[in-house]
Amino acid sequence: MIKENSLEIRHLSLSFDTAAGEIEAIRDISLSLHHGEILALVGESGCGKSVLCRSVLKLLPRFARIKQGNIFVKGMDITKYTEKQMQELRGTILSMVFQNPLTTLNPSMSMGAQLREAICRRQKLSRQAADTRAAELLQLVGIDHGMQRLTLLPQAFSGGQRQRCALAIALASDPEVLLADEPTTALDVTVQMQILDLLKDVRRQTGLSIVFVTHDLGVAARLADRVGIMYAGKLVEIGTADEIFYDSRHPYTWGLLSALPSAVEQGQRLKAIEGMPPDMLCPPRGDAFADRNPYALNIDYEEAPPFFEISPTHQAATWLLDKRAPCVVPPLCCRQREL
Amino acid sequence: MNFQKMYHTIWCKLAVFVIAMGILSIAVFYVSSYAPGDPLQSFYGERVEQMSPAEHEAARQRLGLDGPVYQRYLSWLHHAVQGDFGISFKYKEPALDVIRALIGNTLLLGSISYAIVFILAIGLAVCCALHEDTWIDRAICKIGTIVFYLPAFWVGLVLILLFNVNLGWLPGSGAYDPGQSDNVLNRLEHLVLPMLVMVISHVWYYAYMIRNKLLDETRQEYVFLAKVKGFSRFYIVCTHCLRNVAPTIVSIMAVSVNHILGGTYVVEAVFSYPGIGHLSIESAKYHDYNLLMLIVLITGALVIASGLIAQAVNERIDGRMKTAEGGASWNRSHRSA
Repeated sequence: MIKENSLEIRHLSLSFDTAAGEIEAIRDISLSLHHGEILALVGESGCGKSVLCRSVLKLLPRFARIKQGNIFVKGMDITKYTEKQMQELRGTILSMVFQNPLTTLNPSMSMGAQLREAICRRQKLSRQAADTRAAELLQLVGIDHGMQRLTLLPQAFSGGQRQRCALAIALASDPEVLLADEPTTALDVTVQMQILDLLKDVRRQTGLSIVFVTHDLGVAARLADRVGIMYAGKLVEIGTADEIFYDSRHPYTWGLLSALPSAVEQGQRLKAIEGMPPDMLCPPRGDAFADRNPYALNIDYEEAPPFFEISPTHQAATWLLDKRAPCVVPPLCCRQREL
Repeated sequence: MNFQKMYHTIWCKLAVFVIAMGILSIAVFYVSSYAPGDPLQSFYGERVEQMSPAEHEAARQRLGLDGPVYQRYLSWLHHAVQGDFGISFKYKEPALDVIRALIGNTLLLGSISYAIVFILAIGLAVCCALHEDTWIDRAICKIGTIVFYLPAFWVGLVLILLFNVNLGWLPGSGAYDPGQSDNVLNRLEHLVLPMLVMVISHVWYYAYMIRNKLLDETRQEYVFLAKVKGFSRFYIVCTHCLRNVAPTIVSIMAVSVNHILGGTYVVEAVFSYPGIGHLSIESAKYHDYNLLMLIVLITGALVIASGLIAQAVNERIDGRMKTAEGGASWNRSHRSA
């Protein structure tokens, strides 16, 4: 290994064993997160983004099963870690923020108590020292008069403030990897932008690595260094933000980019990707996206495409990149876009 | 303004309390008056049968049992308000004295069982919640359900048969051996079996309720956040979840006061334990109105008071209940300002 990555996932496959059968939630995903990097994972609902986050923390329902692959955190293989070992990692090296700020905080515990709990995970502090640190954290996430607000219950805060508090809790123990599971989806656009800028600030100040799950390409563009596109439990394309937004190669990425309101000229109907994601109870043979793909080749229905390397940082899984494939011109909006 | 409000609330609650007691006393008075049977029998015993009708009538008059029911009720109320609850026909002493001698036994049995039932119920519930969907949880649930459906009197008899008759380890009746009323050990010995019956017949009902509440709580998203913080399930259930379930537990505890008190009545009857449960069954049987009224009123007062206390405790535990009101009044005062 040349450089130790904060987080590395190798050939991870994960299934849910349900009464109806096996659901392949994650199918052979490999990715890495460098130190101090923000990686955005983008995809439709149900494509496995959240499951991927939770599998890093190993906080999955009991019927979830890692079929193969390894997860490395700071070079340690945590795939076989026991619950006890994971508890050591959670809240110290790994941390997470969630989508819904209204339900993630304990409603009957004061904000101060919830912050102190997280702070005291790493270092034993006196009550006063912990309170001071808690107020600092609230300051960091942009909540003033933190000291006076520590005694308040979550209900005294607005949704945006609660998300900031949740972020403060996540940052309380100086984690090295933050998994952000759509932390801005439930917020209005103004607050959303503030939170994104905040995350960037925090990254600059603490050198935190962030996996940011979203289904909003605009958010990914504003925040991410690299972007991974997921579809039906697979990573279909990954590259730097520039590569994804200006030089994408996968038809699904093209579809997503064409669906952006800014990609459509005024007066025209917004574009959408036809069809529905496949039923993961019985995933189709070949490429899962083939049915909805206007550029699908015959081989897409037969065999799933491997990753083709476009540049050292940019890979995409589509047969279009095979040298035998016909030359396809991506939609205009994907070639010259301004974000 | 807060004081005024508190004052108001307390008055309201007192009014509710008094009205409830009034309704309760009327209902019990009427029902027991119209119940078939002759109250004179408890006072004069066998002699009643040899009385002439005239003597009979005179005796009724002496005991205040003549006249229409409402008149007797009013006269009872008139005396009761002044602290005179009449005499017990059977014991021929003031009813208050009769009860005073026995209520301690019942309170002892009731409160110890109450405490054990809830400590055990919470413990079992936490144990089940920690081991959800494992054989431990399933075993506890199955055994608990079976035990819960065993009738209390039957359990009592079986325990007496086992520990008293066959093994001879523990006494099977009474609250203490003759002349040992101040001997704590002797009293405790007599308490073991009745308490066991109380616990066996009540604990699962509450444990199951608390268990389900806890399991609901563990599905909440804040539990997930607590896990992300790196805490163990045990810690999360005990500090985060129990805290949110606490108001429910307190409410259940308040409602259960009469349930457990009622339970002591059955247990006292099985173990001939001298308490007011035993006494109330006796007084109902012998139409000992004054005694019955007093027992019912004391029990009723206890139940109503426990409800009011539970509400106050809940407001203390869960800040939300209080601040909701506080917030509203804050708004009001600002608007008026």
